[in-house]
Formats: sequence, C-alpha cells, structure tokens
Amino acid sequence: MLSYPSHMVLSIHPGRIISLRAEQLLVELIYSLMDSKIVAEDRQQTNASLAAELEDIRLSRQGDSDAYTRLIKQHQSHVSRILWRFSRDRLVHEELVQDVFVEAYMSLHSYRQKAPFAHWLSRIATRVGYRYWKQMARRHETESFSLAEWDQLPDKSPDEIDPGQAADILHRLLAQLNPRDRLVLTLRYLEGCDVAETARRTGWTKSMVKVQTLRARKRLQKLFAQAGKEQRR
Amino acid sequence: MKNENLFEALAARTRSESAPAVDVASRVIARLSAEQNRIERMAEKPLLWLAAASSAFAASAVVIAIMVYNASTGPLYEISQAIAWVAQ
Repeated sequence: MLSYPSHMVLSIHPGRIISLRAEQLLVELIYSLMDSKIVAEDRQQTNASLAAELEDIRLSRQGDSDAYTRLIKQHQSHVSRILWRFSRDRLVHEELVQDVFVEAYMSLHSYRQKAPFAHWLSRIATRVGYRYWKQMARRHETESFSLAEWDQLPDKSPDEIDPGQAADILHRLLAQLNPRDRLVLTLRYLEGCDVAETARRTGWTKSMVKVQTLRARKRLQKLFAQAGKEQRR
Repeated sequence: MKNENLFEALAARTRSESAPAVDVASRVIARLSAEQNRIERMAEKPLLWLAAASSAFAASAVVIAIMVYNASTGPLYEISQAIAWVAQ
C-alpha cells in the first residue's frame, strides 16, 4: 500500500475498498497536484525576487546607494567565484570584485534586461579579470610554475587531489600561456562553459571561441611536450 | 595518464572548489562616492580655466594699451606733429 502525504486527508466512503490501481492513480494525482503547487510557489518566488531585483536596478540608476548595496550583496558571491579563477591572491581578488561592481554601476544605464543581471555581471567580471591578466603580461609578471611539478601528478589519482590544490596547479600552469589562450581554456575547462556561454562572456563570436580553443589546446600541448623534453635531459 | 586527460580531470576537480567569501558592498559604495566627488570637482575646472584665460587676456590688453600710449607721446610723435603743422 502506498502512503499518502501526512497533511492530506482523503474523504472516501468509510469502509469502501478501492482497487490498488485506483489507489496508485489517486496518489499520483495528489503528488502531481502538490508538485504543481510547489512549482507554482517556486515560480512565484522567482518572479517576486526578479521583480525586486529590477526595482533595485531602477533605484540604483537614480543614485540609491541602499538599492545598489542590496544588488552587490545578492551577486558578490557569484562574481567572487568567477574572479577566483583570475587571481588566487586574496587582496587582488577582492580588489577585482570591487572593480566589477564599480564598473557595473558606471554602465548600469546600458543594462537592457535582455539577459539576467547575473549573466551581465559575469560578462563584466570576465572582462575585468582578462584586463588584469593583460596588465600582468605587460609587466612581465608571471606566476612561478615548475613543469616538474606537473610531471609528478600522474602518480596521484585526480580524485585524491584537493579541489583547491588542483585549481592552484592549473592556475599556475595556465599562467605560462598568453592571456587570450589562458582565458579560453579557463572558461572552457575550469568554468565548464560551453561555446555559447564562452562567447557570451568574452564578447567573441562562437567561431572565434572554437578557433581560440583549438589554438590554446595546441599551445598547451607544446607546453607539455616541453616538460617531457626537460625531463628527458 | 596522458597530459590532456590529466588536465581535463583536474579541471573537473577544480569546479567543486569554493571561492573565498567577500563582502565588498561598503567599499564599493565608498569608491563610487569618491568618484562622484571627483567628477563634480572636475566639472568646475572649465570655468576656472575660462576665468584664468580671461584674466590673462585682460592683463595683456592693459600692457599693450600702456605701450601704445607711451609710444604716442614719444619724441618721434612730437616731430611728426611739428612737420604736420609746417606742412599745413
């Protein structure tokens, strides 16, 4: 016998025995009604939070700092996650997150609500992070990485490696590439973005994303080949 | 494990990493306020430049006027006036 939800009370003629199949259909109907109620409530909540966000954007455009503070608090963890791929120095990372919200405020008038606000912010975050990498490259500041460190990895299963350690190794490995290659590999592999998402974040066309991915992978393979040569010496 | 496979496996592993928590709201608002003050101060600059340029032009005009006045009362002017009287 299937059990009914505890807060639901069914009124059936006392003593009436219904078939198992009928009981199953009745339970399925009740659960589907509950699900649709939950979905409807969830949708209502989503619409309500979306409406609140749009209202905060409108107020922010008029210079309401409290409204913009609410927007920052709502989205800063999302932006922080993106920018952690661009710098693993906490001070620099926090500075970059600030830069994103300052730039977002300055260009708030250009947000057309065609995409969710979070997507618009992720595009600004990618641009800020990429600009940081290009500045580092111009100053010839690269993070140290020993290819010997990479060669030691196959002894361990990737599942045994701490996610933070894996991220740190890949971050320093990719720092050996030029900013453009680094960006496309970071988005495609570390962020798990597909071609469309990568194109949206970078402002490139999808064709360009595919071509850049191919080129970046070849350069990465050259880096691995170089590691192999150094090991054989 | 081939390098490319290892790279992809590690990349998949990194996706479960958590970024450090930040709270930048107050600092962002402070930066925006400072930026707003800077923009307001810069809006006054063209007027200051106009005032400075006008003063410089006025000072130059005064200097030239004095020079012209001095030149008009110099000895050459007296001689020219005398010749003009004789010619008349």
